[in-house]
Amino acid sequence: MSKRPDREELKKEISKRGLAMTADEADKLAGYVDRLPTPLEFHLFDTMWSEHCSYKSSKSVLKTLPTDSPGVVIGPGEDAGVVSFCHQDGKEWDLVVAHESHNHPSQVLPVEGAATGIGGIVRDVYCMGARVTGSMDLLRFGDPQGKKGETTRGIVRGVVEGIWKYGNALGVPNMGGDTEFHPGYDDNCLVNVVAFGVVPHDRIVHSFVPEQAHKEPYVLILTGKPTDSTGFGGATFASADLDGELGMGSVQVADPFLKRVLSEANQAVLDMLFEKEVEFGFKDLGAGGIACVTSELAAHGGLGIDVDLDAVPVSVKNLPPEVIACSETQERYGLAVPATVIDDVLNIYNEKFELPRLFPNCRAAVIGKFTSKPMYNVVCRGENAAETPINYITEGVVYEREELPIENEIVEPDSRPCNPSVDLVKILTSVSGCSREHIWSYYDSEVQGVTRLRPGEADSCVSVPIEGSRVGLAVSGDGNPWYGELDPFLGGAHAVGEAVRNVVATGATPICATDCLNFGNPEDPKAFWQFKQAVAGISEGCNTLGFSGGDFPLPIVSGNVSFYNQSIGGKAIPPSPIVAVFGKIHDHRKATDIVLRKEGNLILLIGTRKDELGGSIFYRTCLNHHGGTVPVFKGALEKKMADWVLSTIHDGKAFSVHDISIGGLAVAGAEMALASGKLGIEFSLDSNPVTLFSETPGYLMEVDGRFIEDITLPEFVSVAGKVCNKSSVSGNGWFVNLEALRKEWSDKLASIVWREEGV
Amino acid sequence: MSTAAVIRFPGSNCEFETARVLRKSGIDTRIYNWNEIEKLSDSRADAYILPGGFSFQDRIRAGVVAAGESIMDLIFQEAVNGKPILGICNGAQVLVESGLVPGWKPGAIQGALASNLSPGRSGYLSDWVYLKSTDEAREKSPWLCALGQEAIPVPIAHAEGRFVFREDDLDKVKSNIGLVYCGVNGEAAEGWPENPNGSILDIAALMNPEGNVLAIMPHPERCFHLWQVPPGIKGPWGELRRNASLKDLEEKPGPGAVVFKSLAKYLGENNG
Repeated sequence: MSKRPDREELKKEISKRGLAMTADEADKLAGYVDRLPTPLEFHLFDTMWSEHCSYKSSKSVLKTLPTDSPGVVIGPGEDAGVVSFCHQDGKEWDLVVAHESHNHPSQVLPVEGAATGIGGIVRDVYCMGARVTGSMDLLRFGDPQGKKGETTRGIVRGVVEGIWKYGNALGVPNMGGDTEFHPGYDDNCLVNVVAFGVVPHDRIVHSFVPEQAHKEPYVLILTGKPTDSTGFGGATFASADLDGELGMGSVQVADPFLKRVLSEANQAVLDMLFEKEVEFGFKDLGAGGIACVTSELAAHGGLGIDVDLDAVPVSVKNLPPEVIACSETQERYGLAVPATVIDDVLNIYNEKFELPRLFPNCRAAVIGKFTSKPMYNVVCRGENAAETPINYITEGVVYEREELPIENEIVEPDSRPCNPSVDLVKILTSVSGCSREHIWSYYDSEVQGVTRLRPGEADSCVSVPIEGSRVGLAVSGDGNPWYGELDPFLGGAHAVGEAVRNVVATGATPICATDCLNFGNPEDPKAFWQFKQAVAGISEGCNTLGFSGGDFPLPIVSGNVSFYNQSIGGKAIPPSPIVAVFGKIHDHRKATDIVLRKEGNLILLIGTRKDELGGSIFYRTCLNHHGGTVPVFKGALEKKMADWVLSTIHDGKAFSVHDISIGGLAVAGAEMALASGKLGIEFSLDSNPVTLFSETPGYLMEVDGRFIEDITLPEFVSVAGKVCNKSSVSGNGWFVNLEALRKEWSDKLASIVWREEGV
Repeated sequence: MSTAAVIRFPGSNCEFETARVLRKSGIDTRIYNWNEIEKLSDSRADAYILPGGFSFQDRIRAGVVAAGESIMDLIFQEAVNGKPILGICNGAQVLVESGLVPGWKPGAIQGALASNLSPGRSGYLSDWVYLKSTDEAREKSPWLCALGQEAIPVPIAHAEGRFVFREDDLDKVKSNIGLVYCGVNGEAAEGWPENPNGSILDIAALMNPEGNVLAIMPHPERCFHLWQVPPGIKGPWGELRRNASLKDLEEKPGPGAVVFKSLAKYLGENNG
């Protein structure tokens, strides 16, 4: 082998191979192997040290997030988070959750990018041994009617197509999510994806080679799609500024058909292994492909591994070793099992499920042996392609980044004229305020037959994922870019607050959360300050909104950081912390939706309105004003309101519930009426912008008129109106006929984005 | 006890919930992989169900590759023997591509399920629609014999669900109709969205002439329980759903349960 190279040589290697690592990092690597690293070693470490895999800029900040609570089984660190969920027929069930971004690929190739986003996130849940019971998409796009409207509209259509083409075929119900439009995403859309599933507690699978591998021979079986060159350099691509059309070759190609068959085959393999009481490790192939999965399975189990790349099923001959080892071909898994069960495993994949017949060269194959010597050895065509002490690969790197606060001056509009009869119509027929129905209409939200409440029917989607059990699972994901832009701390805190309210409004108690942190370049001190502020906001939200009793927070159990979300011009996206919250309702039959039930019922307002309309849709849409005071986050009050709402729902007293967030009380009321056909709401409220349009957190709740006779309402609850027999919302001196705008409200998005009318 | 077999092709994805509702309807049900032909043959099931999904990735045309699988020879024979056969969504596409429906000449492909045709949109559509059975269907279909004359809401989820036939066959096809799309109160559908895919004659489900084979595009297995019905849905089922007590929500059947109840009733009567 060659002698250790100097810095100039290393710089040349970096530029020749298109690596993202710095010269310092390359020098560190050369020191580890004490020679010129092989191409495979360069690419492997480039991936492992990429921001995407190593969290090198964010690690120290992420440590401040609350992750500990009594129900947590596995916190951040493995492929997905796990929390205790329920008991049924003497079996203990856990909930498995994962959350990730697929932003850059979706901007460049929207259909494939969004599809692969789902593909990757469901693998993270599957590989914990779980059945995936739902997914969610949190989408942020540019302005479809703005300067880059044409590009944006194409991206929106492509992303939605990618989601339905992949998700529907996979057989995982789409449990909603949200979609926001902001010109700050014109050059860099966000596609955040969440997947979740359930697993019996005693069948959780870990992503490392088990203890038993120190005592008997273990092998690494690779299964799934034959390896090709797609996605080579994907993690590096995700960790750099988006640079025009470049990077297209780094986007992976997804195959939901193969994924579906593989998932069923995996279940059969896991069943067999559990039945034989064999210890094993299981991990999906994502960033860094074979190189990552082999080294991580071994290193996290305290072993080394010999990998034979000639044994890898490939779809193209003569690929260089670094491409075979590091490409991110989709639909593959790695399994660490004792040599004694090789035939059983191969038989299930290759014979019972006929993988080789379904896709050329698709099959399971033994590609490595675990070794007691802690070395990572890879051979290809008789040559050593890598020979590295294994602990270096997973050791990681950490950077302390600088931060520089941004002073945002709070500017309120000079005057605030308010005519709700006009303003409400304007909001409900704007791109920001109209229905997202057209998007959901492409998604299958009912496959698996466990869906209780679909998108649009309630504040969160609810399913009943465990056969024979009444326990319901409610999920919601949120994050308001307009708040993030004005105040990243409040953007983070309210992302937690809103997702919690959405789950609570269906009667479910939040049990855990995940986050995806989407920001600009962490090497820019301002962007890094925004990141730190948002994380502090999420911590504040989670610390004040724990529902496990005592001082326990709402635990963040999994998540992802996505930096470098900015255009070639260097302008970062609005700070975009996006939070998903998962809630449990002990009896799904008690779950509440937003559909009004009966004329004459009272509408209660929970949460006193405050003058804090900064970032509100009213300011933006009706006054064309983009500044102002963002609502204060009052965690203790939000907790009190949530507790009261939950107990009222569980007592069976609430007929329908809707949280107040974007658009304030008036929009919340209109949305309830629009979901209800012939019923509406008569508010006893004046046309005051603060009362009607301030986005102070809160809820609207429909109760029987007699409900308030028997109890003393807490100080944060008041009577705001009653249900009427007209599809309208009205108040003192204002009236909006919803029947007249229903079509435009539900069709607006389709007309602009899909049919391109009037743009 | 009566038995049923759910056939899983590579890419099927509704096999579990379909088997679940059959079991809940009192029918002993097992799922068979596409290559478990011998096991399936030995099972001598009383009824066969092809579930929804994307068999063989919808390669070439939805359902066409699965229709050529060896296991379909067995299904074909059982169909000719008069056993009840149901294809739901992708399963319906397989039955059409196998020439089992409309089945005037079994084995000949005499219809197709084409891409949805709806104003201003293309591709997949998930929605709830209303369906109504025909007199012929109630009389001779083991899958629809327990239906009443009223309309029922059932969800759809497909991109290729538009029944089409040769012009010359349009008269003949009328007696093969099992279910049609309709308005909330059973009135004739007035185009989109009541007829969600442009299906000719508003056909949602089609039988063979004998009535034992049914190809249905909507998903009755997804509305087996009352709690699966959307709270905001129009019509009497909406009222029932919104006013349901906790007990009702759990115990009352959803609008799709009647399809599986039909089979249980039929097998009960015919198997003694």
